Amino acid sequence: MFGKSRSVAVALAATTALVLSACGGDDGGGGDADSDEPINIGIIADLTGATGDVGTPYNQGMLAYIDWRNGDGGIEGREIAAESNDYAYEVPQAESLYKQYVNDGVVAIQGWGTGDTEALSGSVAKDELPFMSGSFAEPLTDPEEAPYNFVVAPTYSDQMRVALNWINEDSGGSGEVAVFHNDSPFGLAPVQDGEDWVAEKGYDLGYAAYPMPGGSANYVGLLSQAQSQGAKYIVIQNVASPAALVAKDIAAQGLDMKIVCLNWCANELFIDSAGAEAAEGHILIQPFAPLTAEKPGHEPITEYLEAEGTDPETIGTSYVQGWYAMHAMAEGMEATLVEGNDLSGASIKEALETMGPIDTGEVIGGGSLEFSADSHRGTSSTGVYQAQDGKMVELEASATP
Amino acid sequence: MAATSTGIHHRSYTSELRLRATKAEYFRLGLMTALLLVLPFVLDNFWLSQINLIMIAVIGAVGLNILVGYTGQISLGQGGFMAVGAYSSAILSDRIGLPTPLAIIFAVLLTAAVGVFFGLPGLRLKGLYLAIATLASQMIIEFIIRRWSWLTEGAGYINVDRFEFLGFQVGNREVFEQQWYWILTILAVLTVITARNIFRTGLGRSFMAVRDQDIAAEAIGVNLTRAKLTAFAVSSGFVGLAGSLTAHYSEVVSWEKFTLDVSILYLAMIIVGGLGSIAGAVYGAIFMTLLPEVIRRVANALESSMPFLADQLPAVQNAAFGVIIIAFLIFEPRGLDRIWQRMKDYFKYWPFRY
Repeated sequence: MFGKSRSVAVALAATTALVLSACGGDDGGGGDADSDEPINIGIIADLTGATGDVGTPYNQGMLAYIDWRNGDGGIEGREIAAESNDYAYEVPQAESLYKQYVNDGVVAIQGWGTGDTEALSGSVAKDELPFMSGSFAEPLTDPEEAPYNFVVAPTYSDQMRVALNWINEDSGGSGEVAVFHNDSPFGLAPVQDGEDWVAEKGYDLGYAAYPMPGGSANYVGLLSQAQSQGAKYIVIQNVASPAALVAKDIAAQGLDMKIVCLNWCANELFIDSAGAEAAEGHILIQPFAPLTAEKPGHEPITEYLEAEGTDPETIGTSYVQGWYAMHAMAEGMEATLVEGNDLSGASIKEALETMGPIDTGEVIGGGSLEFSADSHRGTSSTGVYQAQDGKMVELEASATP
Repeated sequence: MAATSTGIHHRSYTSELRLRATKAEYFRLGLMTALLLVLPFVLDNFWLSQINLIMIAVIGAVGLNILVGYTGQISLGQGGFMAVGAYSSAILSDRIGLPTPLAIIFAVLLTAAVGVFFGLPGLRLKGLYLAIATLASQMIIEFIIRRWSWLTEGAGYINVDRFEFLGFQVGNREVFEQQWYWILTILAVLTVITARNIFRTGLGRSFMAVRDQDIAAEAIGVNLTRAKLTAFAVSSGFVGLAGSLTAHYSEVVSWEKFTLDVSILYLAMIIVGGLGSIAGAVYGAIFMTLLPEVIRRVANALESSMPFLADQLPAVQNAAFGVIIIAFLIFEPRGLDRIWQRMKDYFKYWPFRY
């Protein structure tokens, strides 16, 4: 009896040992300044989650930039090796991917959402890994709070301030503003700052925030609340698909309301999903110039797309955002190597803080990005666009709060 | 009963009360101990981080199993109770400045108290009705941690300092997982031993009596009110411990980690592992924690032949989650624990079938 149990147990132990030994990870990544090994970075992407509509093209833009840069000789002769995985907007999945990337020896990480970027900000600081993401929440710009996070665009709060300035001017100095926001850390990020801005500037604007329930078939209920508030302006802090639904509902109900979309709904996807007619006239606060704006920084993107046989007309702003977020990180790595430093997280952070402006060919905020040891806010200026005849038409190239 | 119990004769009460009776059981215990001691030296940091998550899940699942599996009180409030443990422990240690272990102890006590409060409907409600009542507790706690900005000082999340106690501080990324492994393993083992022993006491037996037939239990002198509320307190205490360890291990607390999904995941753990079995809770925690990672790796490996698997990975993971729970409910409602018992029986009686 005992003998049989023992042989089973021994067999089990042997199998476990085999499985365990097969689980070993590999090291790689940074290394010496004169190494020619690929540079490992990790990408945490939302392809199928709640924000997948803009997360997917953003991820494609990043991978395209890496492909383009590697084809162009890489960073100081070293290729970028990026692993991109879908985390479906689930914080625990992002944490698991983060652990995997740390174990794989990456030197920097590109993330996505506000919730997961904030959740990982403490860990990246302790592990000394520069972290950029699709989240432009204001607390991430403070090096004391989040020393390894870098924000490559004006924050959601800055975008909200620009939006409120625009509304103040457009309304002739008084009116009601309803803020429709995603019910998450991402959606809530600029809400309080917007209210504070109205008070600080002494604007005669009413201000009320409404969380948008996820998965709604329509937002008529929410709009009627905004209507009873007397709102003529709806600022939307959400992704494109729900914002397009709001635009459709406004058109269907024949309401006299103007949408002011921030960043993640200020794109072609919003116009296409709502339809040119329903989107007509709405305002889009978009820090990254769309390809149709034809800035100098768009040339490498259009050249790359044409070489790949893709029509640039089909490419939206989120793709450009991914491309230039990766560009900012790559420039930091290049500066590190040019200075002759080892490619570690700490030295990339130092390079980003001291290298001076990063040229974006007028794509981000109409100019360039610059970080310092006191502030990781790349820029505070953003473009303002309007949906006209199904296109994004530039009203202002570089608006600042 | 399992095969190991047949053919064993006891000559004293002490011998009958022993947790382990046969040499094979001691041998397996030894093997298990050896495995736990060897693990941190064979695994790389990523797999060690998965084991650490399993250890936390073990503590949470054992806690939930005390309530659901042993006392028959269905609970959908696991995520909420974990949040109470996580937030209180983070606030007590980082903002008020209590030593971390003390903060964890207070967090456990607080969660137990909150558990008792939300357990009060259990005195009148049973089954599905109680499940909905505990679902309400999940919703209420989730609402509070999302909207009460004092908790996070308006930031929406709390950054937690690295674990420190009596001059010892968990190190940086090379040794981080390994040091946490020892802390979490010791606590998980203590949890399992404590829970095993609770059910050898009068209190534990009263829990089971309530589960099996509450009216009969009351007739033989079990104080139903006390038994049910104690079960909620003990269970929530363990769950609170899991929550506060989540906070200190991941070094950040945000509401997104304590949603209804977490409650359902833990319920799935104890169903898959085996309701009313401490070992089952452990098996379930291991299985459900590793499942998404294993599916991800399989999908990546099959990417070239079956690209849709990798493209729709989260959907595939969710579907697998559902299919596995259905499969267990149909084919082995008593879970992995029962499968393991049957495997032991098979070898024990071979070549006979029974």
